[in-house]
Amino acid sequence: MSVDVAPPAAASRPAAEPARRKPPKAFDRPRFLRVFTGLFFVVLFAPIGLVILFSFNSSRSLQDFQGFSLRWYEQFFQSESLRDSLIASIQIALVTMVVATVLGTMLAYGLVRARTRWSSAANVMMLVPLVTPEIVAGASALLLFTQVGLELSITTIVLAHITFSISYVTVVVRARLSALGREVEDASMDLGATRWETFRLVTLPALWPAVIAAGLLVFALSFDDFVLSFFTTGESPQPLPVRIWTQIRFGVRPTINAIGTFMLVVSTLSIGLALLLPRLFGRRESGLKVLLGREGA
Amino acid sequence: MNENRFASAFLVPSGLWLLLLFVVPLGFLLAISFGYTDDLGEAIYGWNPENYSRVFDADLLPVLVRSVGFALATVVLCLLIGYPVAYYIAIFGGRWKNVLLALVVLPFFVNYLVRTYAWIAMLGDDGLANGVLGGDIRFLNTPYAVIGGLVYGFLAFMILPIYASLDRMDPSLIEAGKDLYGGPWQTFRNVTWPHTMQGVLAGSVLVFLPAVGDFVSASLLGGPDEVMVGNLIQQQFQASDNWPFGAALTVVMMAFLMIWMVLYLRSAAREARGPA
Repeated sequence: MSVDVAPPAAASRPAAEPARRKPPKAFDRPRFLRVFTGLFFVVLFAPIGLVILFSFNSSRSLQDFQGFSLRWYEQFFQSESLRDSLIASIQIALVTMVVATVLGTMLAYGLVRARTRWSSAANVMMLVPLVTPEIVAGASALLLFTQVGLELSITTIVLAHITFSISYVTVVVRARLSALGREVEDASMDLGATRWETFRLVTLPALWPAVIAAGLLVFALSFDDFVLSFFTTGESPQPLPVRIWTQIRFGVRPTINAIGTFMLVVSTLSIGLALLLPRLFGRRESGLKVLLGREGA
Repeated sequence: MNENRFASAFLVPSGLWLLLLFVVPLGFLLAISFGYTDDLGEAIYGWNPENYSRVFDADLLPVLVRSVGFALATVVLCLLIGYPVAYYIAIFGGRWKNVLLALVVLPFFVNYLVRTYAWIAMLGDDGLANGVLGGDIRFLNTPYAVIGGLVYGFLAFMILPIYASLDRMDPSLIEAGKDLYGGPWQTFRNVTWPHTMQGVLAGSVLVFLPAVGDFVSASLLGGPDEVMVGNLIQQQFQASDNWPFGAALTVVMMAFLMIWMVLYLRSAAREARGPA
């Protein structure tokens, strides 16, 4: 950016903008609201803090902390069947991420750029999987797989996960595509590129931050999913959340703290990456906005 | 190639996928809900409306009513807790806005089972809560524990849409309300609340739908008196193996939820058509 051409950033902003940023004087900041929000965050994080803390407890107790130890993590990683479950969970999440991201991105492109009779209906219909209760999705997926004679396994879990992840990707990518506008694509076509070249060399690169953020979101959702996996899982290996369910039902076990903490780290990493991603691409918009599909809205 | 044809081709793979793995399975569900089970417990297609009369049987009715009641209580609590938090973040968040929002979202990426399990550890008879309060209070296996688990599970679905609608609102509207001598409560009721109605409705539906169908909270935090419809469905498909009856329960629940889904989808469509 050349300094002598660009006016100072503050001056280039529309006059209304600074007023929007700062809460105007008319807002009194009620102390009640601040205390309430503070309390909310304490209660929100207390159980999670407890899980993390007691995952390092040296005794079985979930009430008093008797000393630091890694024995529950050892137990987790040394159990062959739990390790198989972890590997299964990661495999499921990775395959789901790749396939759902490709399918969801294609759907978003089609929905935004194609003008057919059903466009507006399709734009709404693709939200249906998002609001369908998981138990309905799980039961009907289970029915389908048994009716067509597909043996329940990691594959059936992946198929179910992909089905319900496509819409997440589409919502996130669609928002970015709508904000993008057609001008760049038109320019590329004017310069002699084919439709396909334009999509590959112009549209897709502009969509990358949203596509990757959506993919990481899907990874975290699939890795954490319980209900769909529960209905569509085979005997073994079962994904981690299904194992946690069985363990809780057999009584509270401290290994769950270690598994839970480990899963938290994996999900937080993928979501954190998704939030930070736009910055890595050198853009100033917030990753949260990209993820919530609110970009440009 | 014509742009429309090119872009339409992109709709085909995902459209087919969703048709085969979302729409068709729902058809199977509807079909088997009229079926029988043979002596081995195997589901057979047929015409057996009996499954549906069993759903509305006198001894199952309390379960249905309870599921809706728990879900409604969850929505109300989420609204009471979520609105002030969303308001604080949207209006007073300042440069911490995004950090605070991320903090709201973060716990929801801790596995739902693990979060529920944490509450068992906290609320158990000799758990942390009784230790701090020094009492001997029974928290688990009560309706309060189940509703609390649902609130904790789905609160983010309420906060995010309300936050979005508050963020979209022009703060000068509130100023105007005050300039016209509205007190804080009057300004809120006549200006802020109506402007955020869309967010409140979206949040309510997004909390209500998963809460009605949930079975995790009731299984882990509740006792036999807190059974919800989700538990019944799960039992039919897993332990007691009566798929036709389980399917009938699912179809009835789905039909009831459809009203709310349509409401939500209509407001989403309105939003998609353009900023108001």
